[in-house]
Order: sequence, then structure tokens, then C-alpha cells
Amino acid sequence: MTATRYRAPPADALLIRELDGLFALYHRPSGTTHLLASPAPELLDLLADRAMTRDALLDQLLRRYDVTDAADDLLDARLSELIAVGLVYAT
Amino acid sequence: MDEHPTSSTEDETGGATRRRALMLGAVGAASVMSIRPALAQAAGSVLMCDIPVPDAGRARGYISKDGQVVAAGTAGAFAPPGRPLKGEDVRRALSSGSNLPGYDYERSRAYLKYVQRLQRGTAGFTCFASVQMLRK
Repeated sequence: MTATRYRAPPADALLIRELDGLFALYHRPSGTTHLLASPAPELLDLLADRAMTRDALLDQLLRRYDVTDAADDLLDARLSELIAVGLVYAT
Repeated sequence: MDEHPTSSTEDETGGATRRRALMLGAVGAASVMSIRPALAQAAGSVLMCDIPVPDAGRARGYISKDGQVVAAGTAGAFAPPGRPLKGEDVRRALSSGSNLPGYDYERSRAYLKYVQRLQRGTAGFTCFASVQMLRK
């Protein structure tokens, strides 16, 4: 069984601006605006036009950041939110 | 994502590499809120956001009982919290009348009054506005 892979839109599909500690994100294809809190922007950055499994994503997070609460269920929760609003696709 | 700050997580000043701290948050909290055109309705929530008390420009100030920032050491006022308040904690305290985690009743009320007085353009306002949207 192949592990699920996650992918976010390419960087040029998104317009992101920092907004008082949050990030306003405009998704050009859908014309929808989202307000993101960390770690959502960081996840989108790692997954931008690049599919990877949850395990690979967690590994990349740990390489890039000092993740204080690394756990599969927490990463699943964050990915689910991004999938629910159409910013991440599971394949 | 060139405008994104997350790519600049490494600081190699002096040969040492520092990594930025990141929290994945809690199950049940949320990190995404969608704003629907012409509706501005919250489809999720932004509960993991922070509200600094007070804002960085007045970081050493105390918080009076009515939520005003006053000089440090002012009698009857409270020292600021050691870390920013969490949006979720503020939402829960405002909706239920409970205390902020780790703070007694008087101190919680002072901090919450400070938050409720936040104006647009002040650090934490966007987080507070998101919290308010969730309460309606």
C-alpha cells in the first residue's frame, strides 16, 4: 500500500502577506482568501509544488525547525485543515 | 513563496546555525480561517495565534485593572504575562467568564480588558478580531 502524499500549490499560485503575526493568503486559482497561523505557512512552504508523505514532511520540518511538539497526530490535524480549505491536496 | 519568511530560518552568523522554534499546536485547535468573498465568514478558526500583552512598543509596561498600559511598578497594576496570550485561551475566557490559564481572577480580567481595548494596527488585534468572529 502506497503512503498518502501531500502537495500544496506552487508559490506563484499564492499571494502571501504577513499581517500582525498572522499571514493573509490569497489563493489565485480559487480567488479565496485565508488567514493562516503558524505552522500552516511553514507547511505550505515545504509542500509548494512538491509532493511528500507525512513522514517525509515531518522529517523536513525537524530538519528546518526546532519543532517542540513533533507528533504524527498533530501534523495530521494541521494537514487536515489545509486539505479542508483546498490549500493542500492528498494523493 | 518568496514573500514567505519561513525560508530564512537559518542564521549562520559566526558559523553557528540557529533554527527557529515551531509548534504544531493541538489537535482540536486550528491554524486556518477562510474568508469567503462578500461574506467574510469563518470556516475554521485561527486559535493558535498570539496576543502580546502589552504590545512590543510598551513591553515593560504594567496592565491596570481596567486594561490600560501603565508605568512598570504602578501600585494596583499587574506585571505583564511572561508570554503572549493564546487566542484560544482568550476566546474561552471571554465566552465562559473563566480565568486565563495560570492567572487568577483579577489578573485575568485586567489582561482581558487590555485585549478588548486593542485597536486596529496594534499587535494582536488581528488575532483578537479572529477570536471575536468565532464568538458570534
